[in-house]
Amino acid sequence: MQRRNFIRQTAITLVSVTGMVAVVSYLRQFFPRLAGQKRRITIGDSAQFPVDTYTYVEEHNLFVYRDHEGIRAVSAVCTHLGCIIEKSTDGFECPCHGSCYNTKGEVLSGPAPRDLSWYRVSGQAGGKIVIDPGTVVGPEDKYISS
Amino acid sequence: MSEEQSHNQQNVPARAGKITRNFFLHIHATRVHVHSMKPTYTFGLGMILGFLFLIMVFTGVILMIYYTPSVETAYRSVKDIVNVVPGGRIIRNMHRWASQGMVIVVFLHMLRVFYTGSYLGNRSLNWVIGVVLLILILLSNFSGYLLPWDQLAYWAVTIGSNIAASARELTDLLGITSFFDPGGFLKKLLIGGEVVGQPALSRFFALHVIFLPLSTLILLGIHFWRIRKDGGLSRPAKYAGERGTENKWLAWPVLMWTELGILVLVVLVVLFFALVADAPLLEQANPSYPENPAKSPWYFLGIQEMVSYSAFAGGMVVPLLYLVFLFSIPYKDREDGYVGVWFSGRTGIRLVLWSVSATFLLVLTQLFVMIRFGWLRDWFPGISQWFVMLINPATITAAMFIAASEIVRRRLDSTRMASLVLFTCAFVALVVFTVVGIWFRGPNWEFYWSASQWPLQ
Repeated sequence: MQRRNFIRQTAITLVSVTGMVAVVSYLRQFFPRLAGQKRRITIGDSAQFPVDTYTYVEEHNLFVYRDHEGIRAVSAVCTHLGCIIEKSTDGFECPCHGSCYNTKGEVLSGPAPRDLSWYRVSGQAGGKIVIDPGTVVGPEDKYISS
Repeated sequence: MSEEQSHNQQNVPARAGKITRNFFLHIHATRVHVHSMKPTYTFGLGMILGFLFLIMVFTGVILMIYYTPSVETAYRSVKDIVNVVPGGRIIRNMHRWASQGMVIVVFLHMLRVFYTGSYLGNRSLNWVIGVVLLILILLSNFSGYLLPWDQLAYWAVTIGSNIAASARELTDLLGITSFFDPGGFLKKLLIGGEVVGQPALSRFFALHVIFLPLSTLILLGIHFWRIRKDGGLSRPAKYAGERGTENKWLAWPVLMWTELGILVLVVLVVLFFALVADAPLLEQANPSYPENPAKSPWYFLGIQEMVSYSAFAGGMVVPLLYLVFLFSIPYKDREDGYVGVWFSGRTGIRLVLWSVSATFLLVLTQLFVMIRFGWLRDWFPGISQWFVMLINPATITAAMFIAASEIVRRRLDSTRMASLVLFTCAFVALVVFTVVGIWFRGPNWEFYWSASQWPLQ
């Protein structure tokens, strides 16, 4: 290999490698590092939630449902495009594109691709209710306070 | 030599010099072809777009000075612009109406360029740049939509960001979202998190005031420069054999002054709208309660209508298919003989009219079925999401349009005629979906003949 060619090849390689490293690390800056797990939420005690009613907890976008046996929590975020669903007579309905869910959170009609998520509910000393949006459970899973 | 032509030959060096000595007047050649100056050929749409962009920049700078991009103060600062800053209301209204004007005119401009076959010949690159500019204009509008941080803004962008994430609909079905999530990736890039909040506002602000306008400005420069490089605006093939200055008129002074007149007219029209109609501003954004109905800006309601069938198919696949088609037109269709002729003659006109009526019929029939009798989920409860995603009015129409244009291409052995069919069908379908989305959808995205029938809430 001639000296001239060697220098040219080396130069091209160096410039493209540095360039690529620069571009990739620059573009990397546009993607924030987000914490993966979701924080647990402490809401009031069970007495705050009327029996046989879906109560909307607006700071956390979820419904808390209490029946005579226990307490359950379901996400109020439509699985279609993230609007907040409303309680309808026989389940939930999304105001944005009309997806309907039954009381178990299962899709009945409309464009929603998935059923609503139910979250693990547990109790804390002092009777406070804790909801863990990181743990998805079945629609029948309820927290039974003693 | 007629009187006009002799007039055109007066003071040639002085008149040519006006342009060659001035950087800004270089937008035109010293001589412009007669055909390019026919108002019924271009309708001046490209120029009007350029002027509207100028209005956007000038009013935008003032808004930027008084606006603060923070979720705590954004809404109040917009209120201040409207109520406290002297003339602020007019400036904001002008910004708003000029942006809506740009959306309307950019589509009209694209229709003009397409139906006159102006992407043909050596103009393919400029067509592609034009399509990128169309996207940039729509994105500029969308990013500006979030900034006031009112209910309209918050929910439109929540929906938009979830359309970006809608590839999850497919990856969920395949069960691979946990390790391959292009939808989530795109959403994170767009709004910097899982829900719309301060990171989203900061990103949209940066996009809206720097990235998008700067890109638009650069591409606009190239767009104009390419017109000169491509030999002026497109014109019919019958002018092809001309030499030198034949049929070309000096641009100074008449053309330049006419264009200045159009600038004044554009400003007046925008000012008129700004004086008679206020840009909307709803209550401050409330992440717990969406508006019902929660509608995007009107020019996205066609897409919103389609996402109401399936987020991924209607919001990503079908729009992307149409975009790919737009980009590919000048490379698929190389029949340069059709350049500069509206609708490419009689056959073209007939095909376009057929396409318009067939599309109306097709889209309205499907909407009728959907609204009157429901769709797959109503007929087969528990049906797989695959069918919901793949079979709906958005995908069915797209598939039928592609088939129709393929049939035309084979029957008539013409790529231009095939493009005419596909373009017309896609555009008319988008218009119908948009009209339905604007006027015939009410609370819970249900069908209503008019907003007066909406239930009271």
